[in-house]
Amino acid sequence: MIEFREVSKVYAGSGEPVVKDLSFEVPEGEICVLVGPSGCGKTTTMRMINRLVELTSGDILLGGDSVTKISATRLRREIGYAIQGIGLFPHRTIVDNIGTVPRLLGWDRGRVRMRADELLDLVGLEPGQYRDRYPAELSGGQQQRVGVARAMAADPPVMLMDEPFGAVDPITRTRLQDEFLRIQQGINKTIVFVTHDIDEAIKMGDRIAILEAGGVLAQYDTPGKVLSEPASEFVASFVGADRVLKHLSLVRVGDVELDPANGDAGSLPRLGEDVSLRDALSELIGAGAERALVISGGDEVRGEITLDGIRQLNRRSGG
Amino acid sequence: MDSGFSLALQGRPPVDFDWILRNLSGDIIPAFLEHLYLSLVPVAVALAISLPLGILAHRHRVIYPPVTAVAGVLYTIPSLAFFVMLIPIMGIGQAPVLVALTAYSLLVLIRNVVTGLDSVPAETQDAARGMGLTDRQILFGVELPLALPVIVAGIRISTVTAVGIATIADFVGGGGLGSLIFDGIGQQFLTAILVGSLLAVAIAVSADLGLTWLEGRLRPWARRAGGAA
Repeated sequence: MIEFREVSKVYAGSGEPVVKDLSFEVPEGEICVLVGPSGCGKTTTMRMINRLVELTSGDILLGGDSVTKISATRLRREIGYAIQGIGLFPHRTIVDNIGTVPRLLGWDRGRVRMRADELLDLVGLEPGQYRDRYPAELSGGQQQRVGVARAMAADPPVMLMDEPFGAVDPITRTRLQDEFLRIQQGINKTIVFVTHDIDEAIKMGDRIAILEAGGVLAQYDTPGKVLSEPASEFVASFVGADRVLKHLSLVRVGDVELDPANGDAGSLPRLGEDVSLRDALSELIGAGAERALVISGGDEVRGEITLDGIRQLNRRSGG
Repeated sequence: MDSGFSLALQGRPPVDFDWILRNLSGDIIPAFLEHLYLSLVPVAVALAISLPLGILAHRHRVIYPPVTAVAGVLYTIPSLAFFVMLIPIMGIGQAPVLVALTAYSLLVLIRNVVTGLDSVPAETQDAARGMGLTDRQILFGVELPLALPVIVAGIRISTVTAVGIATIADFVGGGGLGSLIFDGIGQQFLTAILVGSLLAVAIAVSADLGLTWLEGRLRPWARRAGGAA
């Protein structure tokens, strides 16, 4: 759906490219997270898609068509755009903010209002209470919800999100991330998501593009692969020394092959099947046990998970 | 002069209401309207110059220092000297007053236009561009509305200043409320001085209050947020 073909960006007057020979594809309906240290060109990469930054060489295809072939303003109206901070228009009410692109596309007032209410509902803000307020009357977390709603307003197939949950406290961020993933399950947008936070990347991404200084793609893979098979020293150190644990946190106990439960189960720790392997490991170590019972939603024993089993799973997936 | 003046008042009431009524339509109202014209037209003309120039200076930063330098020099010329300097070119009357007051207004207005545009948050502009607003739509739909309160503040300062300076327009034959004041001084007639001065003050104060009110009206978002907080 989005295809980068040997894309480079060199700013006039500087010899060094900020993005170099970037080639990767984002399949339709997936979230691709661009992540890397500051100065790695991740935001520049994203901004070349809607031509807020013009690429120097190579090409970016959107649904097979080059982004350079249509006018920048038309292109941008077809791509949702959400950014960090107060990108909302302070002088316009919430409904007018959300309605920005629909109005540009010529929707009438009634349709804009209906769409805005629908989106406010979707992002968990009561329309009657919030639609006629100004952004300054909302909390930071609420403003970011509106920012996401605004990006979705004209139902664009592609969305660009630059640290959209950056400017809020960690608890609110986690909630916004969870809600957005839930929304994405229903709308299946193709999303390019920029963050500097590897944990956010692992959580949000179907695929992660890790960039290193100079705008070079260090690895493009699923979160599991990035964690289990880092392509270089740089990737391994960027994802952190706890990458094995991060990887375990991606897998639920219920999703792995369990040993059959045998007899003397009374004293064993009991784990729900939704518990991650990371938490299971923590439970086992904490309880000083070698194995634990996995319990299904219906309170029925599904099997056993063992320390050794977790160790082997990790080894098998290449860690 | 002080003592001579007080002598001249003897035997007369301090304010001659009869004179006011007799000269209301013949002298006072025309002088008042002329004063409005002398002080408001230059601000309007200066705004028409400053708005495009300020927008240009905001976009192309290199021209901002020279523009403010020229406007700054104009601003420092003493007003009476400025009027007199213009007489060889435009003769006496309203013309030198209008030109000088326009020149005075430029500095404050250009600065406030640029400051107002600068105050628009970078993320707001970025979001506007990223959503596909054209440069025109960003200027008229986002930048100017957000800059407007600061621009109106500049108009307020310019207007109050122009109303004050316009009182000396009569020195070069420009008329206005200054004509009442100077006649009153010449004839040692307090009523004319008071009427001229108080009306000038009334224009300045009502322009100030009116534009302050407008400034507040132009940012309902800030007012409402302030109320809610």
